Amino acid sequence: MMKVYLVEHVIGSFAFDENGKLVDYVLNPRDLGKVVDMLIDHEEHGNPFPSALELLLKLKPSEVVVENEAEVAKFQGLGARVTTQVHHFGAREFRQSLVKYALEAKYAPNEEELYSFLYQVSFEYTRRKLRKASQKRDLLAIQAVRAIDDIDKTINLFSERLREWYSLHFPELDKMVEDHQLYSKIVSYLGYRDNITQEALKELGLNDSRASKIADAAKKSIGADISEDDINSIRMLSNTILELFKIRNDLADYVESVMREVSPNVTALVGPVLGARLLSLAGSLEELAKMPASTIQVLGAEKALFRALKTGSRPPKHGIIFQFPAIHSSPRWQRGKIARALAAKLAIAARVDAFSGRYIGDQLVEQLNKRIEEIKTKYAQPPPRKQQKEERPQGKGKKGKGDKKKGKRR
Amino acid sequence: MENVFECIYVDGVTRLCTKNLAPGYSVYGERLIKFEGIEYREWNAFRSKLAGAILKGLKYNPIKKGTKVLYLGAASGTTPSHISDIVEKEGKVYGVEFSPRVVRELILVAQRRPNLFPILADARFPQAYSLLVEDPEVLYVDIAQPDQTDIAIYNAKFFLREGGYLLLAVKARSIDVTKEPEEIFMAEAEKLRKENFDVEQIINLDPYDKDHSMIVAKFKG
Ligand SMILES: C[S@@+](CC[C@H](N)C(=O)[O-])C[C@H]1O[C@@H](n2cnc3c(N)ncnc32)[C@H](O)[C@@H]1O
Repeated sequence: MMKVYLVEHVIGSFAFDENGKLVDYVLNPRDLGKVVDMLIDHEEHGNPFPSALELLLKLKPSEVVVENEAEVAKFQGLGARVTTQVHHFGAREFRQSLVKYALEAKYAPNEEELYSFLYQVSFEYTRRKLRKASQKRDLLAIQAVRAIDDIDKTINLFSERLREWYSLHFPELDKMVEDHQLYSKIVSYLGYRDNITQEALKELGLNDSRASKIADAAKKSIGADISEDDINSIRMLSNTILELFKIRNDLADYVESVMREVSPNVTALVGPVLGARLLSLAGSLEELAKMPASTIQVLGAEKALFRALKTGSRPPKHGIIFQFPAIHSSPRWQRGKIARALAAKLAIAARVDAFSGRYIGDQLVEQLNKRIEEIKTKYAQPPPRKQQKEERPQGKGKKGKGDKKKGKRR
Repeated sequence: MENVFECIYVDGVTRLCTKNLAPGYSVYGERLIKFEGIEYREWNAFRSKLAGAILKGLKYNPIKKGTKVLYLGAASGTTPSHISDIVEKEGKVYGVEFSPRVVRELILVAQRRPNLFPILADARFPQAYSLLVEDPEVLYVDIAQPDQTDIAIYNAKFFLREGGYLLLAVKARSIDVTKEPEEIFMAEAEKLRKENFDVEQIINLDPYDKDHSMIVAKFKG
């Protein structure tokens, strides 16, 4: 009859004997949502991991030593004597050589991937616990993403002004550098045309050939000479633009963090910024969760929708979700279908986020990607324009009809 | 001291610094300094007790490149971020903190640091986070609780490797306001000795932190 020391960990359940030798183990699924569910269940109800139960059923030991008092009762039914001892043989052995055991059991292919998964687990676990303490934090994400949009508008406005202003001195730069941030950097850090040398530009991160082209243009520029005072005033503006970029970055980090906390599944599907924009258009997470997929699909396209209702023109196929890369980068005739598939997943994601907080993001993303693949192969060719009408009665038109109906009901 | 640097400014002022693991990002408003292509972060001893302890004569810093640290009372990440700099990506910092408000800030810091694991949990119940961590070489405890030495001992027994180090920040006032701080530090150190620790140093953190000290102890297992 055997006595085993049981250790439970994110990666699975491991049993060691009295000499600290590994007897057997059962791994946990490498699935973020499932593992975090197990952790929370373990913490709140003292429920052992399913992998621990499976392991003990397999080994049928006469005695089990666990680390967690709360679990003792739960193991009683297995017919073994259960005792507790923290940092027992097995726990010591396992947690001191975590990487070794994880790799030998093939939980992860290498150390890096193991830690990256453990890192994600600790974030997800912590966010799940934070969610319980969170009230109306979706509204914070909404305001923050609106601030980002305002800042973007301001950056554009200021950048246009800066370009016009600095062009009096170095007009050629305007066409050569399209990126507003880089343009502002050049003005802020270098200022005078004479300072714009190849070396200096390379220090700002430009590559050789680009730096030499710009430096050359600076030398031959037809712009007017201006004074130190003039440059300094211009620089105040470019410094402000750079500062705005920095704030924008910090806000984007913040939005990401809040979104992963309040709406992890929507965030998994469309990323934090687009996710927050959806919440913003809906008004709150709860509002979004109440919407049918067909409404989510056209959120942000209200104008076009009303126009369609009034004039009988074609209803829009997508609103803000057009920003989703798989939609705007796909050929026109696939977009509506992808938009519908995405909206359907978003509706599920929003409901889970609003009402249970479980993480099923990975599965949703996987299902969506599969559907997008299907659409891409099935509708690889553009529909022939004229024939489309004639083909209608033959089944293919069904979908089109359904679409319209939905559009009208709104 | 490994991976702890001194930055000397042009006006001659010297400050502790660590190499920034998340270049471009400052954690609590500290200065970023670029030197020979590497970015350093000024380490403010008035904000971080470990920096204070180093300046006040810490003889041996067990935290170096590759060290695994279990950090109890990670708060918004001020000291944990510097420890994350020091241990680099080979090391790990498991940061346990139980106040949701500050964990939100800790998460923002940890987002940029793949070696800093944010864990919302109560240090009194290691059973919960034992599932997420590994046995550390260093246990860092700064939770400002009256019974924090007991909590530290419990966690050491739960996780700390034989020969590993405990760094315990003791705030005299949160233990007993009526006693002299020195008396309290001695009493806490005595508790550790009874539980199989070699107390190596008791560093008074004045003037960086009044009535605080850092106890450095080696765990005999
Ligand atoms: C003095 S602050 C820590 C500052 C941090 N060590 C630094 O240097 O950046 C103490 C922290 O411990 C946390 N704390 C107190 N009791 C705790 C417990 N039982 N478990 C986890 N954290 C706790 C508090 O919420 C607070 O954030």
